[in-house]
Amino acid sequence: MDKTALLDLIYVMAFFAGGVVLAVAPMIIAYLLAPGRTRHTQDKTLDVIECGMPAIGPAWIRYGVVYYLYALIFVAFAVDVLFLFPVAVIYNEKPGWCETFEVILFVGILTLVIVYAWMKGVFTWTSKLMSPRD
Amino acid sequence: MDEQTHVPPGLIHFAALDQMLDLARANSLWPLTFGLACCAIEMMATGAARFDMARFGCEVFRPSPRQSDLMIVCGTINKKMAPAVATLYDQMPEPKWVLAMGNCAISGGPFVFPGQYAVVEGVDKLFPVDVYVPGCPPRPEALIEGILELEKKLTGKRRWPVAPAQ
Repeated sequence: MDKTALLDLIYVMAFFAGGVVLAVAPMIIAYLLAPGRTRHTQDKTLDVIECGMPAIGPAWIRYGVVYYLYALIFVAFAVDVLFLFPVAVIYNEKPGWCETFEVILFVGILTLVIVYAWMKGVFTWTSKLMSPRD
Repeated sequence: MDEQTHVPPGLIHFAALDQMLDLARANSLWPLTFGLACCAIEMMATGAARFDMARFGCEVFRPSPRQSDLMIVCGTINKKMAPAVATLYDQMPEPKWVLAMGNCAISGGPFVFPGQYAVVEGVDKLFPVDVYVPGCPPRPEALIEGILELEKKLTGKRRWPVAPAQ
């Protein structure tokens, strides 16, 4: 390993250590300075809910996630392109049929996402998912 | 009751830091947003422009007990409501203070009579109270005075002059 790479690695490690310290230090400081216990009357201090009345039923239930379609579209249009940048850099140095096929395969699989969203009616203006009249 | 009043201090504490923290806490008490009865109207008046609790850093009414350190119990606590109030008290993190506002919160007020079955006679039956503000209802000035008393309890000295009797 040459000297520049080693120096770069030390930089990365230093920043990593700094990040870990910044993340852990508040917890340690809070642990040291916080009062020993919280006064309570009904043993409800450590409830998992944020506040208010006891929750009715468990949180482990099935519920509709409408947002996943937008997340998928985001992957298809934004994350997809993000991953293509390194591919483009490498491909510029070493073009070839095999690599072209791999890129097409990658983009092709992600294109299925757009097809899926299309079938779900996301690109239609009066979407049944969003219209309150239906 | 010792179980309810004693709070062991943190593992580390510095006198100067504690004083600074107490000063900061005393001048930025965050009350919990809830009103039980008519005293709450006076509390709202205290928070609004004319009486302006913000002058004492006390105007940030928090909707969550996890964020607040002052509970202003303003109103009658009937027995149906008592578990809810006690739950809110439980959910407030230390350090926390309770201000009983009005005769109902102090002792049950006009609802105490032989054979009454509906009203908790004083919020200190449920959990410890730091400052009592009598009145039916207390005027906003009285609530502000109660908050100044609480500040005095926190820091050990009164930072604001005592208003002369008129």
